[in-house]
Amino acid sequence: MNNIVHSTQLYLSFLSASLKEMLIYRLDCIAGMISQIVTQLVEVIFIWITFQSTDNIAGWSFQQILLLYGVTLISVGISDFCFDALYDIGPKYIRQGDFDKILLRPVHPLLSIIGASKEYSALGYLGLGLFITVSMLIELAIPVTFILIAKIIFFSIIGAAIIGAINTIFSIASFWTYKSNEVIWTFYRMYTFAQYPIDIYNGFIKFIITYILPFVFVAYYPTMNYLGMDKYLIWLSPLIAIVLWFVAINVWNWALKKYRSTGS
Amino acid sequence: MPIIEAKNLIKKYKTIEKKAGITGYFKNLIHPRYKEFTAVNNINIEIEAGELVGYIGENGAGKSTTIKMLTGLLTPTSGQVIVDGIVPYEKRIENNKKIGAVFGQKTQLWWDLPVIESFRLIKKMYKIPENEYRKNLKTFTELLQLEDLLEKQVKNLSLGQKMRCEIAATFLHNPKIVYLDEPTIGLDVLVKENIRKFIKDINKEKNTTVILTTHDLKDIEDVCDRIILLDRGQIIYDGDKQKFKDTYGNSVTAEIILKNKEENITQKLWEEDFEIIEENENNIKIKFSHDKTTIVKIVEKLSKYGNIEDIHMKEAELEDILKDIYRGVKIC
Amino acid sequence: MLKTMLELGKIHFKEYSIYKSNFYLFTLNRIVEVIVYIFVWQAIYMQTGNTGEFTIEQMITYYILVVSLSSIATWGINEDMAHSIRTGKINKELLSPMSYFKYYFGINLGEIGFAIPVSIATFILCAIFWKVIMPVSIMNFVLFLLVIVLIIPISFFIQMIIGTTGFYTNSIWGMQILKKSIISIFSGLIAPLTLFPEWFQKIANILPFKEFIYTPINIYLGTIPLNEIGAIILKLVLWIAILYLIAKIFFEHAVKKITINGG
Repeated sequence: MNNIVHSTQLYLSFLSASLKEMLIYRLDCIAGMISQIVTQLVEVIFIWITFQSTDNIAGWSFQQILLLYGVTLISVGISDFCFDALYDIGPKYIRQGDFDKILLRPVHPLLSIIGASKEYSALGYLGLGLFITVSMLIELAIPVTFILIAKIIFFSIIGAAIIGAINTIFSIASFWTYKSNEVIWTFYRMYTFAQYPIDIYNGFIKFIITYILPFVFVAYYPTMNYLGMDKYLIWLSPLIAIVLWFVAINVWNWALKKYRSTGS
Repeated sequence: MPIIEAKNLIKKYKTIEKKAGITGYFKNLIHPRYKEFTAVNNINIEIEAGELVGYIGENGAGKSTTIKMLTGLLTPTSGQVIVDGIVPYEKRIENNKKIGAVFGQKTQLWWDLPVIESFRLIKKMYKIPENEYRKNLKTFTELLQLEDLLEKQVKNLSLGQKMRCEIAATFLHNPKIVYLDEPTIGLDVLVKENIRKFIKDINKEKNTTVILTTHDLKDIEDVCDRIILLDRGQIIYDGDKQKFKDTYGNSVTAEIILKNKEENITQKLWEEDFEIIEENENNIKIKFSHDKTTIVKIVEKLSKYGNIEDIHMKEAELEDILKDIYRGVKIC
Repeated sequence: MLKTMLELGKIHFKEYSIYKSNFYLFTLNRIVEVIVYIFVWQAIYMQTGNTGEFTIEQMITYYILVVSLSSIATWGINEDMAHSIRTGKINKELLSPMSYFKYYFGINLGEIGFAIPVSIATFILCAIFWKVIMPVSIMNFVLFLLVIVLIIPISFFIQMIIGTTGFYTNSIWGMQILKKSIISIFSGLIAPLTLFPEWFQKIANILPFKEFIYTPINIYLGTIPLNEIGAIILKLVLWIAILYLIAKIFFEHAVKKITINGG
């Protein structure tokens, strides 16, 4: 317990350091945020275009799909904000030799790295996600109760934790290839599969995003719950987040041990 | 006709005066205020083909700025540069074909590929004739001990190995002029010596003009015949290295071993033409100037205070002289 | 000079190929990107029996070609260039015996050289899972390839423009994403342009991005009359000239700025 408190304190002090750094690059950051939002608008346009040809996809209306989209985006925003530094392990830390310095610190290297930088432009995702979610809740006339808000906050953070854990697992590729960011990104991108009702997919893809890379628990089941389509599956999300992080940390430690014993 | 000619060269930089705080940030955005700073202040340089020139000065003296103007990377605020008949910042590509440059530890070699691949590409880029390329590659491989490195990926080389390859890459197309900006920074003594010898050998063989900027004065001592000394954007010395040493560094230090030495001879000899800088039980260290006295006279005097067993003399090195100059001893 | 550029391309290609995993990774990357689109359209087709003006086979082929082409159309040197500006490596590049544009065009060729096998592999792999339509005629296929060749310089000059912004900002990452988004919308990457509103199509007709994706695919599918191709090629050549001028002027201006103010 003490350990967790200490780690959290450390994490917060890292956070404030990187906040100061961000202020230096204000303009770049604002440009980044705007362009992030534009990228997401591209996806929204796709959804809009498809609904010119139909009035529902696998039984979901335009507003319902957008709600799912918005809820996903909130988790993605939080996750990108917190775990973006994982992409740097290969190209930045290991390639430029800074990783050894990280290993000398009296903190777990993973915490050091994740804490070291924050992707502020991901707040653009978060903002857009919140905006879409709130608008769609109103459009769909879903009563915004205190319980619903609490659920959305809680499960968005859980969703971000799931994405973060999956990214952490694949970040061990950094110990073998400098192009590790591409590896992480490829698997991370599969979250987009879960931005649509999973009934549109064949069994293979359903299997992958449910059991192998459980992205359906990031926003799909929670959104079904908010829409009243499902009652229980949502409660699996926290459990899956915990299991995934347990796996992630162990896999990471195993990879680190291997890396240390071979030296490069 | 000098190969490099710089006339009344001046380079001024404009820097934005930074204001603190958020309001300062926006003030800067709307109405930036500039400060002017003269990095190079009216210098004249003439260098003949085949010269080995050491370009030295403290940090911020304007060395890099000058080198950038000579290579064409910077346009002077006023004055003119002519390198082998052309103005480098006007005809950059034409100038580039004739020069080579090393900037510190930055490398032009392709990180993920074996060294030889980068060499082959350089051959294609500079259109080096096949036989010339082969000949150079063979000589350089020998001189810089590259045989085991050529097939290795650049990322797997140590700094010393990388710099040796980088130096070879720079000389591969037989450039008429080579600018070396801190080529030995961070390297160990053996690699440094290897690189110095290489530069001298190539200069002798191909009459390559070399401009060397460095903080390691051993580089200059070993390689260069001529020194240009820069201070706050102005040349304060330009000429022969040996003459520089003779003029400004004619002091000699000597260590003399005295057996059965009398105690405290420093006080007895304070009026002499030499200076005792250290006195121990069996030896003393002295400093003197050739134009005032000779070692024979000194030995004669000292022999009254003990039995002289041995004498070690040391001429002043460039480093000592420059230290004196930087400390404020004026040259006039 | 062309030989030297090809040599640069070759060396850049080799550097990519050192990591064989890159090839599999990028191919997987491409496929992940297309899957969602295809399944969404399949679902719509199953419900309504129509997918805009295209048949479902045409639609699937459209998206498979989208991911195959998008690497050729959007990969490039802007990140390399920004990196060299950031680290000061640009000083060495400016001292190379060939012009900066030629130097980077060579490197860009290497990038495309790597994108082509990825494109082909993506196409073949997708063809195993979905029914893919072959080009309607050899003539159509040749013209399809011709348009792709013509977008290479267009894409390159756009990248030089984005790369040059690296002289003014610390990170061109935002610009890059913006570029990608603009291309995605106007090229027909997210959906065939005929599904967009009329006014939007008018803008897309003027911009060069339509030819990155939408036009070549429609030539391939035979949904553009061949007599319109002359005009398309003329448009592309015009855009090559315009973008070259913009890139050149912008770059020269930026270089002048650093040669006057220092790096």
